[in-house]
Amino acid sequence: MDPTDLIHRAQQGDRAAFEALYRAHVGRVYALCLRLTADAGQAEERTQDSFVRAWERLGTFRGESAFSSWLYRLTVNEVLLGRRAEHRREQRIVTADDPAALERPRPAIGGAGMALDLERAIAALPVGAREVFVLHDVEGYRHEEIARLTGIAVGTSKAQLFRARRLLREALNR
Amino acid sequence: MMCPHMEAKLNEHVDGAQAAPDRASLEAHLSGCAGCRAAIAELRSLSASAASLPRSIEPGRDLWPAIADRIRPRATWNVQWIKWRRALAAAAVFVVAFGIYRLVPPSAAHYRPVGQGWVAVQADVDRATEELSRIFVAERDRLRPETFALLERNLAVIDAAVAESRAALAGDPANAELHRLFSAAARQKVELLRWAARAAAS
Repeated sequence: MDPTDLIHRAQQGDRAAFEALYRAHVGRVYALCLRLTADAGQAEERTQDSFVRAWERLGTFRGESAFSSWLYRLTVNEVLLGRRAEHRREQRIVTADDPAALERPRPAIGGAGMALDLERAIAALPVGAREVFVLHDVEGYRHEEIARLTGIAVGTSKAQLFRARRLLREALNR
Repeated sequence: MMCPHMEAKLNEHVDGAQAAPDRASLEAHLSGCAGCRAAIAELRSLSASAASLPRSIEPGRDLWPAIADRIRPRATWNVQWIKWRRALAAAAVFVVAFGIYRLVPPSAAHYRPVGQGWVAVQADVDRATEELSRIFVAERDRLRPETFALLERNLAVIDAAVAESRAALAGDPANAELHRLFSAAARQKVELLRWAARAAAS
């Protein structure tokens, strides 16, 4: 099915078309939520919130950027807003005994072990450093964009990134 | 081990965000510092690994049913347009009602409750159409010309909204919002006609 047609139909209120968009993008949205929250339960909630919000705001999508970019940016906003709005639950650190939290990521460069170690180390980062690292190094956002999305200064975004990398190097070299 | 004061510069170097003069100075430092050279290699490897992580991770369960429960059918273009038409009709009703109120004795201006629900509304519409015909045939001479003209203009607006709702419903008969819009427009028509009938009879 043509994605443009699906988007157009979903904008007209076609829920089946929107479900097809959900199926096409849920893995990417969930991965983003999971890495930003480091919690499988929260990631599921934020994924649902993001798609509900996307449904509500589909009318504002004009095709000026790719639908995926629009959706992922909306997802980042939902995660960050959710964190600010809610009383932050105590940060949960993903352990090797909690496979559901990472849903067994597929092997990356360096083999499955290295990717899983990196995922765990990212999940164990302090929340501010983790968010910036995920957005910058995993998702490819620029510091200016991260500053806009998170409400921090560009300099703070850089400082959080450097801190995250330092902590990750220490964790992975242990 | 990297030199602690070099952390920001090494990171910016890896990110390609370093100004040319700083780059020259860094390269001079790197040529004599094995710790910082190793740190740069690690940072590059870390960034590459992060960028290579799986882009997609499927949730452990299907989240769609919960999402489907939370999303409501969105008003389509037709519905939005009908809403506007309805708002215009409502405004017209107010204007003409106020005009009629001023043209007829105050005691005649009151409403009677109408039936509720889809069947009742359709029955009301049918009854109202009959009332309208009867009023126009039998009582029109008893209404002031300006009252009649206002009534006619207003009914034309409401009729357009009713017709549009009916047409939309023909294409989407299960659309609850269209039912509601049709009901509201039809009910407005009934109320106005009843009012006009009483005004003519008084």
